[in-house]
Amino acid sequence: MRPVVLAGERRLAVPGPLGRILPGGGLQRGSVVRVEGAAGSGATSLLLALLAAATAAGEWAAVVDGDGVLGGLAAAEAGVALDRLAVVRAVPAGLYGRVVATLLDGVAVVGATIPRGFRPADARRLEARARERAAVLVAAGSWPGEAALRLRAEHSSWSGLGRGEGLLGQRVLRVAVSGRGAAGRERVADVLTGVRSAA
Amino acid sequence: MLCLWCPDWPVVAARRADPSLEDVPVVVLDRGLVLAASVEARVEGVRRGLRRREAEDRCPGLVIRPVDTTGEARAFEALSRGVEVLAPRLALDRPGLLFVPTRGPSRYFGGDELFATRVLAEVATVGAPGARVGVADGAFTAQLAARRAEPGGSFVVPAGESAAFLAPWPVRILDDDDLASLLVRLGLSTLGDFAGLPEASVLGRFGLSGLGAHRRARGEDEHLPALRVPPPDLELHHEFDPPVSRVDTAVFAGRALADRLLAELAADGLICTRVRVEAETEHGERLARTWRLSGHAAVRGGTGGAGSSPGSAILAERVRGQLEAWVTQDEGPGRADAGRSADDDLVTSGLTLLRLVPEEVVVAGRSQLGLWGGDRAAAERAGRALVRLQSLLGLEAVTTPVLQGGRTPDERIAWVPWGDDPPPLSDQSRPPAPPERVDSYGDGSPTTVQAADGGRGATWPGAVPPPAPAIVFRPARPAELLDAGGRPVTVSGRGEASAPPERLNSPALPKGGGPIEAWAGPWLQDLRWWDPQARRRRALWQVVAAGVACLVSVEGGEAHLEAVYD
Repeated sequence: MRPVVLAGERRLAVPGPLGRILPGGGLQRGSVVRVEGAAGSGATSLLLALLAAATAAGEWAAVVDGDGVLGGLAAAEAGVALDRLAVVRAVPAGLYGRVVATLLDGVAVVGATIPRGFRPADARRLEARARERAAVLVAAGSWPGEAALRLRAEHSSWSGLGRGEGLLGQRVLRVAVSGRGAAGRERVADVLTGVRSAA
Repeated sequence: MLCLWCPDWPVVAARRADPSLEDVPVVVLDRGLVLAASVEARVEGVRRGLRRREAEDRCPGLVIRPVDTTGEARAFEALSRGVEVLAPRLALDRPGLLFVPTRGPSRYFGGDELFATRVLAEVATVGAPGARVGVADGAFTAQLAARRAEPGGSFVVPAGESAAFLAPWPVRILDDDDLASLLVRLGLSTLGDFAGLPEASVLGRFGLSGLGAHRRARGEDEHLPALRVPPPDLELHHEFDPPVSRVDTAVFAGRALADRLLAELAADGLICTRVRVEAETEHGERLARTWRLSGHAAVRGGTGGAGSSPGSAILAERVRGQLEAWVTQDEGPGRADAGRSADDDLVTSGLTLLRLVPEEVVVAGRSQLGLWGGDRAAAERAGRALVRLQSLLGLEAVTTPVLQGGRTPDERIAWVPWGDDPPPLSDQSRPPAPPERVDSYGDGSPTTVQAADGGRGATWPGAVPPPAPAIVFRPARPAELLDAGGRPVTVSGRGEASAPPERLNSPALPKGGGPIEAWAGPWLQDLRWWDPQARRRRALWQVVAAGVACLVSVEGGEAHLEAVYD
């Protein structure tokens, strides 16, 4: 159906405020994106926002959720169409690479929490698979290979909550973006998420 | 489910039309081959599928009748009306086979056996010798139970014992010749052998149709979990102006209607498994009859999507038979039988309306979950990958989140194994009524939230307001919520905290937690207060500890880390 593949079509646009700070406004198909950050800094929210890029384009997203802690409601709030999101749990360590490779075969964006001790050779194999299938691998945690794009959640600061009053409202998520090519220099930007105050 | 099976229905119908055929060997021929044979003929060795010459050789004096679908449909309609007196919600499968849900009627008549006896007695007055009744949990098992029953008798499989009853049957009973011959070659000759295989392996090796057969072999109904009530605009009707009294005119319209119905359902990715045929006449008579479009034929027909699929041919055939049963005037000598014919004239004038209502539809195949709004090719690609993973890791390992009613972020999401249908819209595990009491203290914070999609689980009082936490622990991780003096913060029955929280410790947090910078709460949740056993009271806090926003619960003096706003 598509006679010419334009550069723009090789890209999955990331909706929302995160898309505005990414090079080209989205994810390059066939690449590996690395997402880092300590618990509570906002790394999981970044991952969810990237998954939303797939479902917004009418494609599928999947997450390998080793600990089984992904919040489905937060995914919906991040703009992920839940009926096109698959979550894979209880993956034995020996099968991890195979499971991610199978997902890359069928799904546009695959988020995976990379377990400790994942071998560089396996990482290269997954990079090749993502390139071949024009899928995006979003690797959370320590990725022992090359990544076209690196997102690091520095920290989140919340507003709306006081001492014994209010509610968690808006969050300012500081993200450091770096990568190859156009995204070479590291840029630090603030992303505003959460509900508007006095909603 | 009760199954009423009348073996060799064409013979029964022929005898109803011509009482002189009683006690003589009879066969009904369809295109030169034996379609059905009476008991007398079977004793002489006449079997279904024999040629006419061969049957005559084996059984001298054999009476041969041509197939008469109108007579069969009409005789079966009379039988259905007899059963309908006892239980209104029956569904016809084909002439000679019908199903009745037993839940209500069995309780009314005092048990499955008594209900079966009543049905047989009613059938006997209508005149269907040799009818058998089987009762079991599912339709497939009930049909086999009917085969096990004596002629004129019943066989009841007790609730929950379907699997044991099915185990000794041979696999060819699954009505899927390719699968059966493969299973036999693999050394799995009985349903019990087949049912013993793990579900994930069956899915990986035999695909979706194999999984359906596996569910039937285990005594679970193939489609039961996936049934959907169709939206009302799926029904189709045809108005006759002027009213028609000729059956072929009505049948012609019925066939077009059947084609259109299946095509529209297929466009929505649905398969019809039960359809109600309704008709109205000039004199205001209203007729309705429900037909099952059983398993394989319906499924295979529907997925094809084309108007001339086998499923549509079967539906058209059922509609034709039903219309003929209603409209054709009974002229044969059998008219006077059984004393019921006084009200046999269902239709005293021309038909004005024919309507087809899909009563039960299922989603066609598992890979079409994300069809709406998505790229079909992408959905199929994703479906293949996910099914492969399910066969590798098990069905439960690959899930998709579905919004539902609830209060905490964990409750708001049901994790449905990929490919299964979402649970019904109203969440049955947590009854919305009676409403739960919510005590909200503090600053009068908003305690209700509108679900993201509006429909599923609308507004629940006491729900945790957005934003939703990106990490939700299942189960919640142990934590310590401490006050300035290092004592655990407790919440009184009135929802008052013993002291402001100053520190949150939990191994699940980076650096094990830290001092609390901001907090809100406690919000008291009184869950299932109407049930003394299941009643739970807990208090929820939102806290920001060492820069990390968390949701903490305190229940029975113990704190837990429920979620992290990562």
